[in-house]
Amino acid sequence: MSIMNMVQAINHTLDFSMSEDDSVILLGEDIGKDGGVFRVTDGLQAKFGEQRVIDTPLNELGIVGAAIGMAVSGLKPIPEIQFQDFIFTSMDQIINQMAKMRYRTGGTVTVPLVLRTAVGGGIKGGLYHSQSGESYFVHTAGLTVVMPSNPLDAAGLLFSSIGYGDPVIFLEPKKLYRSEKIEVPDERFDVAIGKASLIHEGDSLSIITYGSMVPVVKKTVENNSLDADVLDLRTLSPLDVDSIVKTAKKTGRVMIVHEAPRTLGMGAEISALISERAIEYLYAPILRVTGLDTPFPYRLEDLYFPDERRILNASSKLMEYR
Amino acid sequence: MTEVINDTDEKQKFIRGYSAMVLYRALEKKAMAAQRQGRIGFFMQSSGQEAAQIGLSMALDEDTLFYEYYRDLPMMIHRGVPLELILNQLFGNRDDIAKGRQMPIHLLAADYNFMSIPSPVGSNLPLAVGSAFAKKYRNKSGIVEASFGDGGSSTSDFHASLNLAADLNLPVLFFCENNGWAISLPVEKQTKVEIWKKAEAYGMLGLKADGNNIMEVYKVAQEAVQHIKSGLGPVLLEVRCYRMGAHSTSDDPKKYQTDIVAEGSEKDPIVATEKILKEHGYLNDQMIANIRAESEKIINEKFEEQEKIPPPDRSTMFDDVYKERTWVLNEEEDEYR
Ligand SMILES: Cc1ncc(C[n+]2csc(CCOP(=O)(O)OP(=O)(O)O)c2C)c(N)n1
Repeated sequence: MSIMNMVQAINHTLDFSMSEDDSVILLGEDIGKDGGVFRVTDGLQAKFGEQRVIDTPLNELGIVGAAIGMAVSGLKPIPEIQFQDFIFTSMDQIINQMAKMRYRTGGTVTVPLVLRTAVGGGIKGGLYHSQSGESYFVHTAGLTVVMPSNPLDAAGLLFSSIGYGDPVIFLEPKKLYRSEKIEVPDERFDVAIGKASLIHEGDSLSIITYGSMVPVVKKTVENNSLDADVLDLRTLSPLDVDSIVKTAKKTGRVMIVHEAPRTLGMGAEISALISERAIEYLYAPILRVTGLDTPFPYRLEDLYFPDERRILNASSKLMEYR
Repeated sequence: MTEVINDTDEKQKFIRGYSAMVLYRALEKKAMAAQRQGRIGFFMQSSGQEAAQIGLSMALDEDTLFYEYYRDLPMMIHRGVPLELILNQLFGNRDDIAKGRQMPIHLLAADYNFMSIPSPVGSNLPLAVGSAFAKKYRNKSGIVEASFGDGGSSTSDFHASLNLAADLNLPVLFFCENNGWAISLPVEKQTKVEIWKKAEAYGMLGLKADGNNIMEVYKVAQEAVQHIKSGLGPVLLEVRCYRMGAHSTSDDPKKYQTDIVAEGSEKDPIVATEKILKEHGYLNDQMIANIRAESEKIINEKFEEQEKIPPPDRSTMFDDVYKERTWVLNEEEDEYR
């Protein structure tokens, strides 16, 4: 066990995986000498060499496309996109190649890669360094999408993602990169893909959340002694439908909290699933507390995030509903 | 000072160009200090690229449309963009045209023909091609200038833009400010051939100039403009200059950068320009001292003034997403009250 923040936990996992398996290759902009703009790949090029930690020219489409090619040819590439906002320049490769390879080849060709990128706000990055684009990926059949909310899950989910066999979009909330240090095993361990984690138990309401909002929800629940189940989804596709339906049935009052905009965000899907499978258990409408349906603002960034006030408002509404 | 009569305009032009460089540098120093004190959130330096930008700018007419990139502030200052407008954006305050929504240095000055800057590298280039088409189609005067770095020359947008601009024979000047680095990657890792040579593959004229020599850039840029205006198609002009500072205030280049250029060294374009203009009899030490002192004074005053302006009102967050607010945005604003 060592005490690590999320950056260190991911770095450790990459290091460990590369030592074990020489088919693991990293590629991306500034990931080598510079160790990545968030220092996630720090020291790895010095240790594993330029053939295994490749500093690429500035072209995301090239990075992603080449990684797909490596993957179909027997390697386990882990491409990094500096900011998720810039993934959009490679969406053709992601949607039309990466996501469809298994299907269009009758299951004979697979794409075992992990596409890592930093998501969300919190660093005063303005419009183009703060977006939460998980819905674009979750909406695309063939992609597995995970988003850890702490160093332990980040390591465990990354171990599970490497060698998973399908392309995994690994979304790292940059706001949480250095916010918390906890114990992480030095050895390999797996956090199962597709399994949510119940991080707080209560009977009166359920708060379903993930990524950057997990600490905010946790703190709000603890500070205000809310009698709430708090579910950290961890995997966004496939969703842990059993855990979602279970907590909805248990409390009958559900709130979904995420940083991404509301419209067609994860909250919409989760809400629909609950309506389809557990509507007869509900005492109140399902509420969403989310980022705004606006681009991410620079100067007013602090106002953009769901906060304690909005979560408490929603919880009062849920509890008072009749 | 010796003055040749038919030289006067050129001389004034260069003095104005030099003054803009010095004014920019004073602003940069102030902004970097302000960033370290937490008074502005972020900054990206242009030092090292001033002579290249201003040499170009001097060769461009009034009716040029600019698809600049984030390091083109010296050029904007040279073209008369008011300091208030620039500083409002650095502070992201209430009077900022972009209402505090963009990161500092993602400038916009539409009244001065400078388009809004997005962060994704290279994504300004296809738009420049479209605007050049519109100019040609409507028989409008002027060319379109599109800047980017050596890293930008690797993007898909770069290749798409050069190809299309050449195919449609459009009046665009692609201006590659090769400062040697794209964050941590030296240009040798970015491309295996000199960037200006890529022009040939797309069927357009490629030119290069020493970005530290204001006179050379000016001359080569004039040639490029002449070529474009004669209807001979787009030009790719690469200027070689230096990134004197870090990539941005979030970056520490000590880990990777091997060729840090110190201020005041001969590679500093301000020093290089002073030398050239002194040799031509355009500048003398007294003028230099005056221009420097005056610039610092102006910048200090303006900074103090603009910093006092408060941030935008929170309700502005919901404006300009669409021409009219949708019900969704109205509801979301209500939730914020
Ligand atoms: C599409 C895209 N990918 C990555 C980034 C992150 N990034 C910002 S600037 C930069 C380097 C750009 O280098 P260059 O084009 O040479 O311009 P310079 O900053 O050196 O002037 C990178 C990788 C980005 N903004 N956009």
